[in-house]
Amino acid sequence: MPLAGILVAEGAESKLYYADFLGIPAIVKDRVQKDYRVEELDREIRTVRTKKEARILATASENGLNVPRVLLVEDHRLVMSRLPGITLLELMRMNDVAKETFSKAGRLLQGLHALNIAHGDYTPINIIVDVHGEVWAIDFGLADFTNSVEDKAIDLILMKRSLDHDQFAEFMKGYSGKSKASSVVAERAKEIEKRGRYQVRTLA
Amino acid sequence: MAILGIESSAHTLGVGVSEGGRILANEKMMYKIEDKGVIPAKAADLHAENARIAVEAALGKAGLSIRDIAGVGYTKGPGMGPCLRVGQLIARTISVDNSIPITQVNHAVGHIEVARHLSRAKDPLVIYVSGGNSQILGLVDAPFRHYHVFGETLDIGIGNMLDGFARAAKLNPAWGSSVARLAKGGRYIDMPYTVKGMDFTFTGLLTHATNALRSNPHRDVAYSLQETSFAMLCEAAERALMLTGKNTILVCGGVAQSERLRQMVSTMAISHSVRSFVAPDEYNADNGAMIALVAEKMLDHGMECALADCDINQRYRVDSAEIRW
Repeated sequence: MPLAGILVAEGAESKLYYADFLGIPAIVKDRVQKDYRVEELDREIRTVRTKKEARILATASENGLNVPRVLLVEDHRLVMSRLPGITLLELMRMNDVAKETFSKAGRLLQGLHALNIAHGDYTPINIIVDVHGEVWAIDFGLADFTNSVEDKAIDLILMKRSLDHDQFAEFMKGYSGKSKASSVVAERAKEIEKRGRYQVRTLA
Repeated sequence: MAILGIESSAHTLGVGVSEGGRILANEKMMYKIEDKGVIPAKAADLHAENARIAVEAALGKAGLSIRDIAGVGYTKGPGMGPCLRVGQLIARTISVDNSIPITQVNHAVGHIEVARHLSRAKDPLVIYVSGGNSQILGLVDAPFRHYHVFGETLDIGIGNMLDGFARAAKLNPAWGSSVARLAKGGRYIDMPYTVKGMDFTFTGLLTHATNALRSNPHRDVAYSLQETSFAMLCEAAERALMLTGKNTILVCGGVAQSERLRQMVSTMAISHSVRSFVAPDEYNADNGAMIALVAEKMLDHGMECALADCDINQRYRVDSAEIRW
């Protein structure tokens, strides 16, 4: 199905288009063909990842979490509702972030982890803040269904590297609440940071 | 003045000479790998026996005598302990005998820097692939200038993975060349593909491929193993490329001798309008010239090592080595 749209972003594995889907403002994520790998492998990677991403988004939506709604899945193409708002990263650059925004981002991640979803790239560029100050998570391209404490802890570490001390403290208030599971993940994050590799591998 | 470099991290004893960034000699003597792989103690014994011959051969090739040598460098690691110790001893002896400064070089930095030097690239994205290593790297200035690891194997190096498969398929292992020959004309069968962000793993793939040998034509398994593992490297590198916006990709290390890998990286680079460069095979295999070249830069930048501080480190990480130039 040819979907008219304006190219708005190009990542390593996909192109993003703004489009209109049956009157709904939509975003189309198209995992593009890679000529360097054999066709069979290429097709498999693109369709499997697209299906998985759609399943993760649908699971999060059904459980009332703020993520884009899946409108259509087609081979290597995913059509999602477009969220009005700007990224947390842009907001931080304008020095205009309400304290609650960070704790809301923490609570959203806790919600995902409770569903055994690790985001894989939970950083301010993948968080949208709308006009009501509500927080939404986007780009589940690296996300996975997992009950691994380690995978979830990586989400915390990535966010910690992107925030200053106070911002991360707010974030953790939202993430932890009174949850036992959350404190296990937070403890693991501290442990991982103590391992040599993550000290050496600073964020470039 | 010329600088002598000694490389002995594995089965190759390499002695190179560099002067003003020009490579004047690159002599090698190799321990013959049989089906059991490298036996570190035996390789070390052979390196010790060959030490004098190799050093003299390199000096002869460069048309120099030992009195023309102004400094010496050796591989500190990573590598096999007994082998590294022999190189260190050769370098120490030359340093003391001739009262010249000594410096210790990271093996991976050697491979990367010789490729960067020859390509004249200032700030490339590097794909370093060898037996024990598989990393995607680039220069970063903080907290000190070094090759930052953007992504790497979380278990074994791609070369060891290909060698492991070669042994299971009863082929002679050598940086995947025998696997590449077997793979010619193969058909693709499903293989586990594991890229996590910019990191990747190979053991699951190796186990799967080894088991697949029982019920599939060997040629198809070799083909699929090669296609899958190289595609994983390319995808991780592609992500790093998008993240860093660098304009050149360098491929180096033993597995960089693979034609198919070169072709895939080149295709990927072209699709992003960036340049790709592969080091000549002479420098992809272990060699002393790369150690001489880096030792010369280090000595030029005040990185001489006191004799008492010279040691070896089997797990010397590339991202802990300072690049002052």
